[in-house]
Amino acid sequence: MAKIIGIDLGTTNSCVAVMEGGSPKVIHSAEGRNVIPSVVDPIKRIVGDVAKRQMVINPKSTVFSVKRLMGRKFSDKSVEIDAKWLPYSIKSGRDNMVTVEVGGKTFTPQEISAQILQKIKSDAENYLGEKVVEAVITVPAYFDDSQRQATKQAGEIAGLIVKRILNEPTAAALAYGLDKKHAHTVAVYDLGGGTFDISILELGEGVYEVKATNGDTHLGGDDFDKKIIDFLADEFKKENGVDLRKDVQALQRLRDASEKAKIELSSSLETEINLPFITQGKEGPLHLVMKLTRAKLESIIEDLIKKTITPVEACLKDAKITKDKIDEIVLVGGMTRMPKVIEVVQNFFGKEPNRSVNPDEVVAVGAAVQAGVLTGEVKDVVLLDVTPLTLGVETLGGVMTALITRNTTVPTSKSEIFSTAADNQTSVEINVLQGERPMAADNKSLGRFILDGIPPAPRGIPQVEVMFDIDASGILNVHAKDKATGRSQSIKITGSTGLSKEEIEKMTKEAEAHASEDSSKKEKIEARNKADNMVYVAEKSLQDAKDKVTDDIKKEVEEKISALKSILETGTKEDLEAKTKDLSDSLQKIGQAMYQKQPSQPADQASGSKEEKVEEANGEKKKEKGKKEDVQEGEVVS
Amino acid sequence: MKSKHDAVKVNQTTQENVEWKDKYLRALADYQNLEKRISETRSHDVKFAARNLIVMLLPAIDDLEKAAILLKNEGLNLAVRKLEEVLKREQVEKIEVLGNKYDPHTMECVEVVEGQEDDKVTEEIRPGYKMFGQVIRATQVKVGRKKLEKVLPR
Repeated sequence: MAKIIGIDLGTTNSCVAVMEGGSPKVIHSAEGRNVIPSVVDPIKRIVGDVAKRQMVINPKSTVFSVKRLMGRKFSDKSVEIDAKWLPYSIKSGRDNMVTVEVGGKTFTPQEISAQILQKIKSDAENYLGEKVVEAVITVPAYFDDSQRQATKQAGEIAGLIVKRILNEPTAAALAYGLDKKHAHTVAVYDLGGGTFDISILELGEGVYEVKATNGDTHLGGDDFDKKIIDFLADEFKKENGVDLRKDVQALQRLRDASEKAKIELSSSLETEINLPFITQGKEGPLHLVMKLTRAKLESIIEDLIKKTITPVEACLKDAKITKDKIDEIVLVGGMTRMPKVIEVVQNFFGKEPNRSVNPDEVVAVGAAVQAGVLTGEVKDVVLLDVTPLTLGVETLGGVMTALITRNTTVPTSKSEIFSTAADNQTSVEINVLQGERPMAADNKSLGRFILDGIPPAPRGIPQVEVMFDIDASGILNVHAKDKATGRSQSIKITGSTGLSKEEIEKMTKEAEAHASEDSSKKEKIEARNKADNMVYVAEKSLQDAKDKVTDDIKKEVEEKISALKSILETGTKEDLEAKTKDLSDSLQKIGQAMYQKQPSQPADQASGSKEEKVEEANGEKKKEKGKKEDVQEGEVVS
Repeated sequence: MKSKHDAVKVNQTTQENVEWKDKYLRALADYQNLEKRISETRSHDVKFAARNLIVMLLPAIDDLEKAAILLKNEGLNLAVRKLEEVLKREQVEKIEVLGNKYDPHTMECVEVVEGQEDDKVTEEIRPGYKMFGQVIRATQVKVGRKKLEKVLPR
């Protein structure tokens, strides 16, 4: 069956997405962008970025913000207001409906929008490699029947069968799967390029119903940009006595730089606006160099953000609910990336808003989800789950070693080879862990079992394969197998993804909070493990080389071994590392000595094959340290 | 003999099978498309690997070029020339606009000025660039008009 695309036909920008492999994917335009400016030259049939570039030279034939005119009568109050500032010519057409006149030709807003939709359709066809005929198109919740009809007609003119007209806030809620989470009351805060909308939705019978909407049709990112430009230009004027706004070329550079600064300050606390040779002063060229902090930016645009709160309050009142009854808040529109906007919304509702989906794309993504429901792709598709937390096993020193990291889509399986910690260790314990902390004890143990019957061998020689397998329903099977004997053990853990949302949040938060403390703990244990291993190697070398080295060297190494041993449990990471290095340095002397002696005593080399008593090791766990005092060579049984 | 109940059951199973087959084929198709697209985007990505970095560098290059013009320093001129050679080697070339007719596909009009001829570029404000023939940044230009209309700023 052919795909249905989901289209967000916006006032400033439009966006398109489609379901692919069970999840929504935004389709990039031929120009390689995720959104297309909703700008059209209907005569030359140019759409998007290209049309936007000619706005200054062809203001009368470059139509933008046509969504404001969709399905409206010429006598509408809003049309009267918009006609004053829109540079193209607006007329009254049949039945007093608004039309746009370009180059002596009359276009309905539907026809103009259809050109945007046509470009979207062809971009989608290019991407999918197949014809696209059906679409879901979103409209603002406050659109009346005539405006919805007009949107549907625009789709038909573009050669699309409009399967559904969907409310934008509903689409945003669908994008976050809030219906599946049974979020009853949802607030959608949409601060776009030129408009602000707030909507309250209520879930009833599995469908979202719009309880109330409010907003400001002339408040958006453009106003924010203008404030920043004005601030920078005023500062420059104070200093140099030149008004950059009067110089088209300088203004253009200032405009680009302001937008860049605004975006940068969403992720960093300070940015530098640096425009050399911005204009000519009396004494030669002038440069604009200014530091702008996030705090300063916020003070410049604060009242604009505050302006959004009045409509929000009015909307709650219309919906007859209080803000504490809102279960979820969704942020839409590029401006909601600004930390201050997020903060104001969060403070107002006392709840963290949903903002993980790209706010420029979230409406189109939701439209694609709705389209997926219509094709049956979403309805009872096997919704692939993810592991909410990392799964792993406990290894030497109480460290958690991850096998399957969090957010891995299941079903999946992963295996890794482990070995023993002590000589002649004949069993290992597999402790299955879940959590983000580096230390085993801080994570949740899901179950444990022992694999025994491992043939006695020096530490590090046996190979135990541990395999984690999670099936589609989240059941975890852990399987441990000794590669030498083929002996194996396994455990089945059900509900490994079944932690409650609260539990997951708590564990993730804890992990973040303890991150530095944990990593130093882990580093110390790693240092201890290394020291322990060095002691083992040193004692073994000493044994092997006992006849070949001088007593001096022997004594030196022995001293260093006991020095390291004495601090093994108590020493700091630095101490352990220093003493480990000490021992390692002395140990090289043994190596040197052995090479020097080699030619004279060639017969005494077969140290590895000497028969020696094999210690019976009984059930030593991996994490326990081997007894270093009676280290013996073991045979490798394969 | 089959009971009515069995027949219903068989029907149900058949229908389920059809649905599963459809889902399987669809998933398979999505997967194959993905594979095709990955190999396409990979070759595209390799070609344009430098693109993002170059686009970010362009404002700095603009400033250097402006400095070179204004300061008339020979050393600086040589440095700029070297930079331009690197760009050329990466298949990045300046879009030629002066004296051409205005074309929104490669140019962004910033101002309309009185000119000898309609729609002719009179001045380049900020150079535009193409990479492998694709516009990575449009040239900002002033465009001439014989009769100047009253034009509102963007």
